[in-house]
Amino acid sequence: MFLAHVNPLQASIFSSLAVVSLLLTFVMLGSHWLRNYVFAFAAQSWMIAALSACVGYFAGYPELYMIAVLTALFRGLVLPYLLLRIIGRLNVKRELHAVLQPSSSLVIGAFLVMFAFVIANHMNSQSLLASRVVVMALTIMLSMKFLGFLMLTVRDEAVSQILGLLVLENGIFLGSQILVPGMPLLIEIVILFDLLIVVACFGMLVRFLVVHAGTTSSRQLNRLVG
Amino acid sequence: MTLPNVILQICQVLCVLLLAPLLQGFILKAEERIQRSRGPSIIQPYRDLWKLFHKQSVVPESASWIYLIAPLIAFTAMLIVPILIPVLTDRPLPQSDMGDMLGGGMVLTLGSFAIILAGLDSGNVYGGIGSSRAVMLAILAEPTLILVLVGISLLAKAMLPFVVNHLLLGSLSIYWSPAHLFLILAFFVLLLVETDRLPIHSPTHLEIYMIDEARILEYSGPLLALLKWASMMKQFILYTIFCNVFVLPWGMSQIGTPLGEIGSIVSLLAKFLLVALVVIVIETVQSRLRFYRYQEPLAAGFMFAVLAIVSSQLL
Amino acid sequence: MATYLLILLFAAPFAAVVLSFAVRSSRLSEYVTVVAAIVDLVVSVPLLIQVLNGPVNLAHNYIQVDPLGAWVIVCISIVYTLASIYAVGYMRLLDEDERLPLFYGLFSGFAFTMLAACIMNNVGVFWIAIELTTLISTFLVGFEREAESTEAAWKYIVVVSGGISLALLGTVLFYWGGSFVLGPSYAMTWAALHQAAPAVYPPLLLVSFLLVLVGYGTKAGLAPMHTWLPDAHSESPAPVSAMLSGALLNASMLGIARFLGVVRGSSINGFAHSAVVGFGIFSFFIASLFIVRQTGIKRLMAYSSIEHIGVQALGLGFGGVFGVAGALYHMLNHSLNKSLMFFGAGNAMRAYRTKEIPGIRHVLRVFPVSGTLWLLGAVGIAGAPPFALFLSEFTILRSGIGGRYRWAAVVFVVFLIVVFIGFLAHFRAMYFDDGPEQQVPRLTGTVWRTLPMWLAFLPLLLFGLWWPHSFWNIFAQIAHDLMGGTQ
Repeated sequence: MFLAHVNPLQASIFSSLAVVSLLLTFVMLGSHWLRNYVFAFAAQSWMIAALSACVGYFAGYPELYMIAVLTALFRGLVLPYLLLRIIGRLNVKRELHAVLQPSSSLVIGAFLVMFAFVIANHMNSQSLLASRVVVMALTIMLSMKFLGFLMLTVRDEAVSQILGLLVLENGIFLGSQILVPGMPLLIEIVILFDLLIVVACFGMLVRFLVVHAGTTSSRQLNRLVG
Repeated sequence: MTLPNVILQICQVLCVLLLAPLLQGFILKAEERIQRSRGPSIIQPYRDLWKLFHKQSVVPESASWIYLIAPLIAFTAMLIVPILIPVLTDRPLPQSDMGDMLGGGMVLTLGSFAIILAGLDSGNVYGGIGSSRAVMLAILAEPTLILVLVGISLLAKAMLPFVVNHLLLGSLSIYWSPAHLFLILAFFVLLLVETDRLPIHSPTHLEIYMIDEARILEYSGPLLALLKWASMMKQFILYTIFCNVFVLPWGMSQIGTPLGEIGSIVSLLAKFLLVALVVIVIETVQSRLRFYRYQEPLAAGFMFAVLAIVSSQLL
Repeated sequence: MATYLLILLFAAPFAAVVLSFAVRSSRLSEYVTVVAAIVDLVVSVPLLIQVLNGPVNLAHNYIQVDPLGAWVIVCISIVYTLASIYAVGYMRLLDEDERLPLFYGLFSGFAFTMLAACIMNNVGVFWIAIELTTLISTFLVGFEREAESTEAAWKYIVVVSGGISLALLGTVLFYWGGSFVLGPSYAMTWAALHQAAPAVYPPLLLVSFLLVLVGYGTKAGLAPMHTWLPDAHSESPAPVSAMLSGALLNASMLGIARFLGVVRGSSINGFAHSAVVGFGIFSFFIASLFIVRQTGIKRLMAYSSIEHIGVQALGLGFGGVFGVAGALYHMLNHSLNKSLMFFGAGNAMRAYRTKEIPGIRHVLRVFPVSGTLWLLGAVGIAGAPPFALFLSEFTILRSGIGGRYRWAAVVFVVFLIVVFIGFLAHFRAMYFDDGPEQQVPRLTGTVWRTLPMWLAFLPLLLFGLWWPHSFWNIFAQIAHDLMGGTQ
């Protein structure tokens, strides 16, 4: 399998791209402005597209080039554009961190990355592949999941929650590019477009929230309890 | 003709001692020049130190022996650290195994600690404010510093800065590895904090902003000169560690000829030029953060250090 | 033969969607939906009989109709039919005539995606189908443009999307584990995963299964991932609530059942079943406690759904022929009973203009016939004989009490008593307590709203008295497929 024969140059390229993606998630955790979240997400999608292309080149899966182009186009351009339009229509520009300050989120995020590393180490054993690229891919996939859930949990704004979900999906996509590049093409393409539909639905829902509920902050969406 | 190692070691200490005010002068002038004013001359800190040494020292009545001892402790600590780190030569010199990186960090902190005590000692209000703020910053910054040192030790599999220097010189892939890049970023944040640059420190002497000036507000004359010199030397030492151990490990003297030493000094100044320019640009671009937001850059530094440690295990 | 049945099964709701959106007429879209639903129901039964002889594979193995999928299709079609008949009467009461075509288009689209999820052989495409059900049903939940509905829709989509992204991660990890056995590129079918499972490194398999369980459990409403369910089911219009409770939860349980089938024969089989039992009993426990202190009539029904999903999970987790058969029978019975309950709740809400139980009194005076049906349905859903839920719960209990999950069976019985008392206390209050005399208006469309209640009630009574032998054959075959004869 491709992962068993990764030479150091390939390993370092994959690692750099994946680690920069993780770093961009931290940028999302630590900043105050909604527009910065979207830009960080766009940059992250571009990184993942580059990673796709690299895996396609080194492992010999030419269909991954198409996936890379589609990712860069849809996740890197169209989705951020839609999100910026949604933000433009709202009258909130920044996230009020009521539960957890950005600095505390960064520290908790760092601990979650360590936890993800422990899990990834445990899931990958000597009997599988002693490859460090695998552990790194698993770590980054799991840590982006954790960070995405952290964003979902502690954030109030609807747009921040949408971005948390998108980060979750991005994490899975990143991991799947490295771990299972041979996954059937149909699945990857459909998941890509699925995200587009999801964001379109979110856009409509945010509009409904503003019109009917009067707010997009989930702190104030507390009519249904019990 | 190579110089004996002891002479080289003394040269290192003298270099730090004598060139530290030059670095400070350069930074002050460059800041002003970027803002299109003339700024003080580069050798102005030398003149200030000379002036202070010839002034009378006024000691407050409520001061104790700590007031007199603290500047000496700080100055001495700053003289000890250059022995432990690679300043001019990149091989260990006599007595450089007195302490490894952690030891060097502890001696630096000892100097800061002495000044904090001095700030509290005379019972002055401003001294208390400055000391408490300095301690808060230290609490936020120390874990990051320790993690950075752990990270670099994990990379180099040794705790000596010389080993790290050789490693980075020799292996390009480790230089560009994510672990190393994160460590650079983490240490850069610490550099900004410890040398009192914005976004933490403000150069104006308004009470609401002061951290470092507040602690030494009570001092005058030669003691003040010692304190200022000690802080300038601390800046020089941190820059040295940043350049020679982390970012730009090239251009150091290997054999120890006098020509090599002078060349090493020149390259050191050139490296500092680059780093100082980056620091100044960052300082000019930003404004000061609110006190409660000091944790943000330091949390970012902490996160970088943790990521560096995790990356070093993965690659 | 099966191919034609399948094509008809999907063409009917598809045609309903297209016609609803193309011809923006409320009446046409109502009737088209009802016709499509009846066609689906009529087609699904022979389809089930057909696949008992062997699963049908179509479209390069992307589509596989096996007995389990066909059974869930039957359950979904039943709910689709009942709900669409009820919707004709109910939605006319909402005074939203211009938006009704949109509603019916989304309604049929929702049914279409749920039916599609049941036949997907490829695990990734199954995930996509489930995601699509979430997206379409969100707009159904938020259909009434109230603040509460929008809030419920928002909570639904955020929590469920987050949950099923975990399921996607689990799927990718399953695929990765399988790639060590089957090579880097293989079709991600249930059978392929099952073939690879015994050879996959156990901790990896365990993490993947737990992720999938939590992910699809969020969609199914297992506690503690159930937080979206009371809001979504209570704020949506009554026919949509019936579809959500009766059909969507079943489709999600289908995913969990299939994954249990994937890991049978591997080393984590016992742990997987224990995990499912754990979630099931926890859901039951949480739901029973919340049922006792409920004040909203539809939230009460929603918590009852959580309770019954917990029972289904218990059945699947207990395993063995009785457990699986009980769970499958429970799917059918719960669909019937829950639809009945939501229809009655919808009637009450429209008549009394309130969602609060204290505001609803003397139901029998307002609804003599449907009120009786509703009360009997309540007795049924609390698990009493002679209604069908009693039989299925008893079967599940029977499978659990003899094995290693005796503790779960005991907890089950204890909290069943709690549910019985709590649930029926609310109904006693609504029917027999004294309250202020209210002028309750007569509503139109009575036949449309009462007929589905009869259609739900009669089979409920029938299946409670007589468990058809043909059903037993179907369940035994499905249990054999799922269990592989290991228990």
